[in-house]
Amino acid sequence: MNILVAILQGALVCAVAPLFTGLSRVIRAKMHNRRGPSILQDYRDIAKLLARPETVAEGSSFALRLMPAIFFAVTFMLAMGLPIFSQESPLPVFGDAITIMYALALARFFFALTGIDSSNAFAGIGSIRELLMSVLIEPSMLLALFATALICGSTDIASMGRHIAAGDVTAPVAAVLAAIAFAVACYMELGKLPYDQAEAEQELQEGPLAELSGPSLAIAKLAMGMKQVVVVSWFCTIFVPWGEPATLGAAAVLGAAVFLVKCLIDFAICGLIENSVSRSRFKVLGNQTWAVVGIAVLALVFVVVGV
Amino acid sequence: MGYELVNLLGGLLIVTSTAVVVTRSIRIAIRWYAVQSLVLVGLLAALGVTTGAHELLTWAASAFGTKVVLVPLILSCTYKKMGRPADATIERVKPAWTIVLIAVEVAVCFAVVSQIKLPTAEIAVPALAISFAHFFVGLSCIITQQNIMKQMFGYCLMENGSHVTLALLAPTAPEIVEVGIATDAIFAVIIMSIVVYKIWNETQSLDASDLTDLKG
Repeated sequence: MNILVAILQGALVCAVAPLFTGLSRVIRAKMHNRRGPSILQDYRDIAKLLARPETVAEGSSFALRLMPAIFFAVTFMLAMGLPIFSQESPLPVFGDAITIMYALALARFFFALTGIDSSNAFAGIGSIRELLMSVLIEPSMLLALFATALICGSTDIASMGRHIAAGDVTAPVAAVLAAIAFAVACYMELGKLPYDQAEAEQELQEGPLAELSGPSLAIAKLAMGMKQVVVVSWFCTIFVPWGEPATLGAAAVLGAAVFLVKCLIDFAICGLIENSVSRSRFKVLGNQTWAVVGIAVLALVFVVVGV
Repeated sequence: MGYELVNLLGGLLIVTSTAVVVTRSIRIAIRWYAVQSLVLVGLLAALGVTTGAHELLTWAASAFGTKVVLVPLILSCTYKKMGRPADATIERVKPAWTIVLIAVEVAVCFAVVSQIKLPTAEIAVPALAISFAHFFVGLSCIITQQNIMKQMFGYCLMENGSHVTLALLAPTAPEIVEVGIATDAIFAVIIMSIVVYKIWNETQSLDASDLTDLKG
């Protein structure tokens, strides 16, 4: 039963991911006073790419062919472990903060490897940039999660969410600070302006995808959208856990609706932030991640102090 | 419950003072200072209700008048009179490191305070640690910021920290003592504002490193 629910969750995330990435494009177009594409444009893009034949760069190895599948599998697996339909994770083994962190690192490793493997100099630079971002973002994310784990007494994200929903936390100010630090780190992880521009295709974040084509590119694009939804719902599960039904059953439909509404609000807010800032050089990213580390350290100290 | 609220407000005090220190815009820093003073007033009132000390409630009321209304008003008037100089605040230390520094200060103060045995403040050890740390936050604001207006904020933060310490250690101190302590800050801020205004008129600069003409 739980496996079935988990697969349904994965399928739901897979189905709505292009909708949310499409929403970001629509918000951007509206804020630029353009008509912009339809909200369903990303579905059409993926369908078009799936129908095309695939070409592989000469000299590339298995990494290039394997990456889309691994990236998709990782995001699908993480979607299976998130408590989406209720406050309970259907597969708690995938719903652990540290597991999620490492799974995302695995996906990112193959993503970066693809760029270097494709023997395209531009894609290689994109990969290096991707790895640099991971080096900077992951420690701040981990610190914020450690503080939260100490407050809630568990690294299981469903359990963290239940503690915070019930107000059963030892250090409320620390929880708020950890939430702020984690929210900023998650936003950086989403690859949006001012840190990155996912829509700029081969230019920045998707640089490693330069040599992908056809179905591989379609799957990689879908997986990137799914990763955004997973990161957003990861944050919501821990720090905005209200509204989800306590147990599975008929209420699961309500849980799914609440999940979609939360994602919608988050993506709308991210869209607004993204389009009100200019792009910063990625070398400046370090300053901001250090600030996040600072906030997370303050949260950790507050956990120790007990406020 | 009472002391929990006191500790929670103490935590918020550090958060707001961090915001005062790292905010680059003077205008926003003044607002954060007002928010912080409001938290301070809440803390004094909560402590007053918890310990049953009426003196603290009157102190909270007077602190509302002086710290939430008057000090931000004086600061913003000075800033307005100077013609709102550019917000490019100069810092010696990056904001990220300042936050880490504040975290270290809180940790060290907690380690020290938890070693001290005090009958009056046993339950509010976190708040006491935070009040000490708050003093050091003010000090680090003066050290890390080169903008002399920001250094004034540092003084105000130190002052708020010592207020909390006094309230925690001597909740039933006579009102005359408390009034004296609460109002001297006003005079200090007025005098400093006048000096800052004069300096600005003379040199058109708020950067402490520019003010070295009197250096021997």
